[in-house]
Amino acid sequence: MIQYYFFLGIRSLRRNPVLTSLMVLTLAIGVAASVSTLTILHMMSTDPIPSKSDRLFVPVMDNSPLEGYVPGAPIEETQLSYPDVTNFLKADQGVRRAAVYGVQMTLEPSRPDLRVADIQGLAVSADYFAMFEVPFSQGQGWTNAEEKNAAKVVVLSQTLSEKLFGKESALGKRLRMQNNEYQVIGVLGKWNPLPRFTHLINGSGGSFKGEDEFYIPFNTAAVVEIGPSGSMWCHGPMGAGFKGILASDCTWLQFWFETATASDHTKLLNYLNAYTADQKKVGRYPRGAPNLLLNVKEWMSFLKIVRDDSKLSAWLAFGFLLLCLVNTAGLLLAKFSVRSSEVGVRRALGASRADIFMQFFIETGVIGLVGGLFGLVLSFGGLWLISRQSGEMAVLAKMDWNMLVLTFILAVSASVLAGLLPTWRACQVTPALQLKSQ
Amino acid sequence: MEIRPILSALLRNKTAPLLVAIQVAISLAILTNAMYIVQLRQEASVRSSGINDEASVFHITSSRLQRKSMDDFKAVLQSEKQILRAIPGVVSVAQTSQVPMSRSGSRSSISVDRLQTLPSTTVDNYNTSDSLVKTLGLKLIAGRDFNPDDVLEYDPREQSDLRPRVVIVTKAVAKELYPNEANVIGKSMFWGTGNDSDESKIIGVVESLQTTEAESTGRFEDSVIAPLTTVRSSNTYFVRVEAGQRDRVMKEAESALTKAAGEPMIVRMDTIDNERFKRYRSDKALAWMLITVSALLMLVTASGIVGMSTLWVAQRRKQIGVRRALGARKVDILRYFITENILITTGGIVLGTMLAVGLNQLLVSQFELSKLPFQYLFFAPCVFWILGVAAVYVPALRGASISPATATRGA
Repeated sequence: MIQYYFFLGIRSLRRNPVLTSLMVLTLAIGVAASVSTLTILHMMSTDPIPSKSDRLFVPVMDNSPLEGYVPGAPIEETQLSYPDVTNFLKADQGVRRAAVYGVQMTLEPSRPDLRVADIQGLAVSADYFAMFEVPFSQGQGWTNAEEKNAAKVVVLSQTLSEKLFGKESALGKRLRMQNNEYQVIGVLGKWNPLPRFTHLINGSGGSFKGEDEFYIPFNTAAVVEIGPSGSMWCHGPMGAGFKGILASDCTWLQFWFETATASDHTKLLNYLNAYTADQKKVGRYPRGAPNLLLNVKEWMSFLKIVRDDSKLSAWLAFGFLLLCLVNTAGLLLAKFSVRSSEVGVRRALGASRADIFMQFFIETGVIGLVGGLFGLVLSFGGLWLISRQSGEMAVLAKMDWNMLVLTFILAVSASVLAGLLPTWRACQVTPALQLKSQ
Repeated sequence: MEIRPILSALLRNKTAPLLVAIQVAISLAILTNAMYIVQLRQEASVRSSGINDEASVFHITSSRLQRKSMDDFKAVLQSEKQILRAIPGVVSVAQTSQVPMSRSGSRSSISVDRLQTLPSTTVDNYNTSDSLVKTLGLKLIAGRDFNPDDVLEYDPREQSDLRPRVVIVTKAVAKELYPNEANVIGKSMFWGTGNDSDESKIIGVVESLQTTEAESTGRFEDSVIAPLTTVRSSNTYFVRVEAGQRDRVMKEAESALTKAAGEPMIVRMDTIDNERFKRYRSDKALAWMLITVSALLMLVTASGIVGMSTLWVAQRRKQIGVRRALGARKVDILRYFITENILITTGGIVLGTMLAVGLNQLLVSQFELSKLPFQYLFFAPCVFWILGVAAVYVPALRGASISPATATRGA
């Protein structure tokens, strides 16, 4: 019987072609708008490292001067100063520790056909690669000893390696950057976390697109005096030169702790609190604002990685979907009400209310299914339009299987929801009245 | 035309009219807010940067591998400026530390009084060894431009922070520092707060110079120009050219600088038009998306009204026939349907206006949005009345054309 109703539903699509196509189209547009905006939100808020996102922590500490302090106000400081970062690297906390900052260096290629160019990279401490599960296609990262000796070594992204050395192995090759020679000790495999969570602040090209073309040891970068390519916030006076920056309380560095279990959070936070209390004694951290210790997802929401505009678009799209549902409900009501005589006859011939309900319900489902299919096609169009906005959006505007399934569920359940009222109204037909009026 | 019979007929069969009214309400609520956001973004994207005739200005950066001594740096700076000035078609050249709308630059907090606890505002620092007023064509509304002897030289490798003795501020900054003073020339401003904060004298006020971030609202014109040259491995210049010469001059400037350097260097340049385009690209995209959604909203709402009216006309064939037979004219039937539609639409508009205000409040609390202006709540209803009447017109006309004989015969 259900199968019969299903075919009946398909056939009735043709009965009122204008009305039906209006319904299908309305539903499809509503679904497409909400699914394409939802896809962007979904991609923006994905967990970039599910295996350990609850064990990676970023400390957020307020080292600003006492002036202008409003107790309880949210911390605006998101980066750390060099003295704190070096202290954290030495501290025996968690299982891994990584300092990160963006660097731009001038590359002087040995090949005559390539021009001098600025490249974007990261200065990171040795644990970085293991901590973020960075895949290598050749070689590996540097050791703690190399880091300590400020070894002039470099790890390249696959793109840069291919650009400079083509298909041949880059290992052992030398690279001249910013007046120093660096030896290539590793080349990354395919690695494109979304968002680029390891350095969300000042990420090259933005939070979602762009690539770090090379990595050099954190300590080496400090020794050869490579300043940060990114924001730096200074509260007080600063001494001269790069040494002045290193010694100052200016914040320009990012730091990660990895712990063995998620529950080590408390222990680590206690350490941070003891640390700032200790620093307060020597005149630093005068505010005594409570420290925060955020895991990957908390860090992403703290930095508001999901943009307001994207949220706004999604909200409006869902408002639009709601309108489409009301519209479809109205049109279905219209479609069903002209068939009250048909219902009357069927009821008089012995069909129960449940049978009628089933028939119209399935018919509604068919409309939802067709609307969903169209909506899916339209979603791809919508995502294509969004992706043309910018390179970042092109990365985000990608449909995955989850979203595909969601589209269908959304479309069909939306139309079924919209069809409930008209279906219920159709069941209310009293056979006697209908037959009499014929 | 009596409204009462129409109203009582409507009330007897509530569901369908109610659905139409809800549609009108939802689309009105979304439409007003969406159009307001579009207007705000649109206004922001065409704001003046303060630069006169943006199409005749571009910026160019030369960066070298070697970090020079102060003397070398000054020599490079002078020679690069000379090279640029020598290019035919160049009107004026000025060194700058940053570019409006480029989203990269330096900012500092400033105050009127060392003793205040919170700074007055945060300003973008435009440092130059030349006249930005002249090269950018900024409108000087009070005071004077810098003299060559105002310019300080600063080598961050040797010295700690250096602040200028004199500054030019924008009108916005002057207002924030001294809201009640008509004349701020000669007055002081301080960098940061506290006893050791440096003092600068305001010697000039320009109408506007946008910040690098060019925020959508708030401090987008809070800029301070300082006569400072900082030793860096790269130098950025604004170049003003004669009308229509920009693209040619840009090409020549790049090759002239590279040729003269005699060492590996990187030259980057861009137009102000393109900086504007990049800065407002996402705002434009959002605006287009909102316009598309709004157009679809209207379309869906109109289709809803058409669909429902068609149904009502079909249901009332017999009633129309009887009325026509009893002497009602076509125009009476038409008027009936249109009045009915206006009643329903008005219900939707009342509900929608409340919804619009509510939605606006929600958006204000969640996003950076200001309160919906009153005019929007006045115009939107008019749009929906017109839309409603237009949508009901054809079905109603078709209903009115039913001849009394066929209408009464059928049933």
